[in-house]
Amino acid sequence: MTAKTGSSRVAISSFSGKGKLWIGLLVALMAAGIAAWGYQVTTGLIATGMRNVFSWGLYIMMFVLFVGLSAGGLIISSAPKFFHSHRYEGFARLGVLVSLACIIVAGLLILPDIGRPGRIYQFFTSPDFRSPMVWDFGIVLLYGLLNLWYLWLLTRRDLAARGSALALGFKDTEAGRERDRTLMFWTAAVALPTAVALHSVTGWIFATQVGRGDWFSPLVAPVFIAKALVSGLGLLLVVSVLADRYTNFEVDHEELTSLGKILGIFLAFHVVYLLAAERLPHAWADHFEFWAIMSNFLIGDSVYFWLWTVVGGAVPLAMLALPPLRKRVSVIFTASVLAVVGTMFEGIRLVFTGYEVANIDSAPGISLGGEYTGITTDIWATAGAYTPTLVEIAVTLGIIAFGAFIVTLGLKYVPIQRVDAEPSYATDGGKQDQ
Amino acid sequence: MTKHGLVIDQERCIGCQACAVSCKQENNVPMGQFWNRVLTEGGEKMDTPSGGYPEDGGSGSLDMQYQPTACQHCENAPCVKVCPVNATYTRDDGIVEIDYDKCIGCRYCMAACPYNARVFNWDEPEHMPEEGTGDVEARPQGVVEKCTFCSHRVDEGLDPACVVNCPADARIFGDLDDESSTVSKYIDKYETDQLLEDRGTDPNTYYISGEMSPGRPQTSDKMESELDDVSPWSDGDDDVPSEEADSVGGESSGSSHSVEGGEIPYATPAKSGGDD
Ligand code: SF4
Ligand code: SF4
Ligand code: SF4
Repeated sequence: MTAKTGSSRVAISSFSGKGKLWIGLLVALMAAGIAAWGYQVTTGLIATGMRNVFSWGLYIMMFVLFVGLSAGGLIISSAPKFFHSHRYEGFARLGVLVSLACIIVAGLLILPDIGRPGRIYQFFTSPDFRSPMVWDFGIVLLYGLLNLWYLWLLTRRDLAARGSALALGFKDTEAGRERDRTLMFWTAAVALPTAVALHSVTGWIFATQVGRGDWFSPLVAPVFIAKALVSGLGLLLVVSVLADRYTNFEVDHEELTSLGKILGIFLAFHVVYLLAAERLPHAWADHFEFWAIMSNFLIGDSVYFWLWTVVGGAVPLAMLALPPLRKRVSVIFTASVLAVVGTMFEGIRLVFTGYEVANIDSAPGISLGGEYTGITTDIWATAGAYTPTLVEIAVTLGIIAFGAFIVTLGLKYVPIQRVDAEPSYATDGGKQDQ
Repeated sequence: MTKHGLVIDQERCIGCQACAVSCKQENNVPMGQFWNRVLTEGGEKMDTPSGGYPEDGGSGSLDMQYQPTACQHCENAPCVKVCPVNATYTRDDGIVEIDYDKCIGCRYCMAACPYNARVFNWDEPEHMPEEGTGDVEARPQGVVEKCTFCSHRVDEGLDPACVVNCPADARIFGDLDDESSTVSKYIDKYETDQLLEDRGTDPNTYYISGEMSPGRPQTSDKMESELDDVSPWSDGDDDVPSEEADSVGGESSGSSHSVEGGEIPYATPAKSGGDD
């Protein structure tokens, strides 16, 4: 980190034709999302697929996913800093940028789920500190601010060197660099427990509920941490490979492979170990014969379960474990995509297990709260079913597009990598010499 | 302290849906929503029993019971604990109620309620007739609503609408903290259950099954605690097994309130105009 010879690079110096197309696509998605949300606000949440029997849907499922996704970057950039290591330095800034975008997406996804968004200020004027949602509101806010601060801290000296207004008047001085290093250490020290708290509290939103099947389990919080590690790291790898391909961002292949290996370990811990730990006691207690116990332990119930454990678990794990495969960028990329997709289905499955079965399911059931007209002529249901509507999908895509937009802007305006000599770069095909 | 509670005698309940309908009327509950549902415990469909007929070698195991289900007014109410903005709260008298001005419509309370007692106004609520019914103001789009134990009536000393309108006297409302109230005595004397007891929500709604109770004693739409004359209900001798009086004795018989002999509690017709 001898900054005298150092300089930084932004990933996107100016938008090419493809870049403009990409921005256009994001803007179009955002506009469609806003329009869909406007429609939903005027007609009410009747525009969604949710009803009384299944009262949380796509927004909450995606909220869970994006809270998890926001973990990877911050952890990968702060954990080495905490141990005074330069490992994965090349991913640090991009990681925090991706984390920041994800936590913003997560926070925004709550808005369309609220029946009366205009009353959100009640969180400040009349909070009930018993509610896990209040804890989560606090920690998401804190985590977002922390990411923003951290990204600025990591980049402000390069911003200053480039004369960017984003330096907010900060000057790059020798003493300032020294102080920044201390600040980075302490920020990393705060970031790690904050990330753990974020995922635990989000898990506790579900894990505290006695009325929704599998939600009520002490394992939910640790599982949320595990899936944050899996999906967060997965997303960071996906974004870095894409950024390497389409922008000036450069991925160190050796570090990429090493992170791929770590992803494999996270996957093994999450999908194999934690899942087994969760399922075995139930399978054992509910069945008598050895083979009945085993088959119940190993064989899952819903299609979401399979999408998660096989497509999002076993397959990427195999890809990252096999020596001939795991060094290839394309393999790491595909495995990471699958890990993210698998985690998404895990979140979907979690919400479904809560609402699919009603505790009291005698006829006629639960009044749905929809109109008498529509798909069914009946207003009653004895079990939960849910399909998101186009409105929900459009709103969700719009918000995700906003997240992608933040990352894109970050790649344009934030010096995302340093190009000075660092130990890890020596191994990188001699790029330094050219 | 007062703690309002409801006892529902499933042996008395005839499944007529009067409570469900009067609740909807009294509380101006929107179309497509119910705060109070009369469920059939038995077959797949409403009003159908489980089991088979006792003919042609059938099992003769026909079985059916009704379970009127609304908010259970839990003591350890998860809906109250999850509400991020204190919109759902427990009143001093034990009633769980919603402040519709505060509710942001996050529906965490619906996730929390194990009984699916809560409904959400997914769109602009519709009423029939349009100007609404009953004595409660309509709730706006985007909030959650549910049974209030008719707190607007309770505040005026009246029994809830569903209690007054039950033709089978299967619904008994009263003060669970008062040992001499009918609800307390019934819970003591009959086999009562709380729904989903294992969840630890400790509902203030109890269901009698097994042996039939004498039902709701009072003859007006006033709450039991508002009746200053001695309750006409005999807690002793006609419906309750006779050994009960000896064994449980003083504690449950509420001494001074009891009336000798087999007086029928509902001999006089209820006052008319029970709407208010
Ligand atoms: S029944 Fe449901 S809504 Fe009513 S108090 Fe209990 S948890 Fe809350
Ligand atoms: S929907 Fe309303 S009453 Fe229910 S938890 Fe949210 S704010 Fe509270
Ligand atoms: S007490 Fe009132 S609000 Fe509750 S079910 Fe009965 S009529 Fe409806």
